[in-house]
Amino acid sequence: MSSKRKIITAVLLGILCIVPPIILLALTFFESWRFPDVLPATYSTDSWQALFRGSNNIGKSLLTSFLVAALVGILAVVMGFFTSMIVSYHKQRKLLLFLTYLPFALAPVIFAVCIKFYFLKLELTGTFIGVVLAQLIIAYPYATIAFTGFWNKRIQEYQLQAITLGASPGYTFLHLLLPMAKTIIIVVLFQCFLISWFEYGLTLIIGVGKINTLPMKVFQYLSEANMYQASLAASLLILPPILLLWVNKKFVYIKTT
Amino acid sequence: MLLKVENIKKSFGERTILQSVSFDLKAHETLSILGKSGCGKSTLLKVIAGLEAADSGNVLLNDQSIIDLLPNLRNVVYLFQEPLLFPHLNVADNIAFGLKVRKTPNADIKKSVAQTLQNLELEAHAKKMPHQISGGQKQRVAFGRALILNPPLLLLDEPFSSLDVETRAAMQALYKRIAAEYNITALFVTHDLKEALTMGDEIAFMENGILDVYDSKAAFIADSRTGVKGEREFWDGL
Repeated sequence: MSSKRKIITAVLLGILCIVPPIILLALTFFESWRFPDVLPATYSTDSWQALFRGSNNIGKSLLTSFLVAALVGILAVVMGFFTSMIVSYHKQRKLLLFLTYLPFALAPVIFAVCIKFYFLKLELTGTFIGVVLAQLIIAYPYATIAFTGFWNKRIQEYQLQAITLGASPGYTFLHLLLPMAKTIIIVVLFQCFLISWFEYGLTLIIGVGKINTLPMKVFQYLSEANMYQASLAASLLILPPILLLWVNKKFVYIKTT
Repeated sequence: MLLKVENIKKSFGERTILQSVSFDLKAHETLSILGKSGCGKSTLLKVIAGLEAADSGNVLLNDQSIIDLLPNLRNVVYLFQEPLLFPHLNVADNIAFGLKVRKTPNADIKKSVAQTLQNLELEAHAKKMPHQISGGQKQRVAFGRALILNPPLLLLDEPFSSLDVETRAAMQALYKRIAAEYNITALFVTHDLKEALTMGDEIAFMENGILDVYDSKAAFIADSRTGVKGEREFWDGL
């Protein structure tokens, strides 16, 4: 590919990636924009002011989303890391790995309907913990699968080498395995956070409308045809992925290359 | 005797790897164990190190049984074929690893690491990360990491097999010097005939899980299984 075509391709790709978020952000400052007007009639910061005043509940949803995603991310990483170690070194590795893929066999909404009975029995529907647990059913096996690549023969040899040098299993875990797994732990944490951050189906069915995360708000405003509030919620929804992509590129990617 | 190995047996499923292996090793001596791949020599070292459990038998170090001790409490260092330097630690920190595990005071660690780096001619590489040094240097760091602990027994599992001919010869010479300097007692496993003859004060041959320790190098050479005769005939026939 010639350098001119490369530049044109890069510019087009840039436009494709950058323009939609800019339009989304711009929409949050519009009050009314009706066909056939080329530009909106009025501009306002009311949506943002309402967010900071807490009068439109989007701020509360933002906090709920963050708490759910952070908890799901941390729990999925901790449980997935240990589970993947057990799975990787187990005699029935293939069977156990197959089982970890099972939650992905169904769409999250169908899966949520299947498990709702148990959540109702345990009185977990409509609760914060219920939504976290429901989302973990997707994030936990994902983390387990993502970490299985880490537990290879070489890592096992590193562990044995440390042990013959006198290190206890606890010391080996803290001073050898964790530092060596740091990069993959950060990456999986980001990914599990994002899985939870964008989760809609499981939250809707297990949260029964009581746990309002940002995706719930976006869909609510869209169904009300409230384009401006929907774009505000959506702008906040895409903020963490952009931030995480930047952190990933700046700190994680550079360190590993 | 520093090391006494008594009737060690080990099987993996139906496959017998070690068939009642027994031998003794005097302090400050190196026993070379020659054998083909899969003959059980690595398994023997792993059983002595505690990385594999024996089906039966006993291992005594300084007349104390260590067979039931956890590997990290045996004070026996096993060195793999690969140097296995910890990738997140620099050369100096890799060497210091065992001392940090033992909670040695920092000042003593610093002194010992500096001494080891000097002995192994690695001073210039102290702050380098493992990926920044050559294969031979990595192997020297792996040696240093074990030597700094002054273990009563060192188990070397084909430590030079991944090195090129020149580096390998240099490492063999270095090992001989270090072994004499540090009074090392070691089991040196190899599948290389010349290496076995060069490195060992005593020589043993392993085949199908059976270990034969020779009284002398002459007895080793005389045994047709070791391949020395075949090697001689090859060179004489040229």
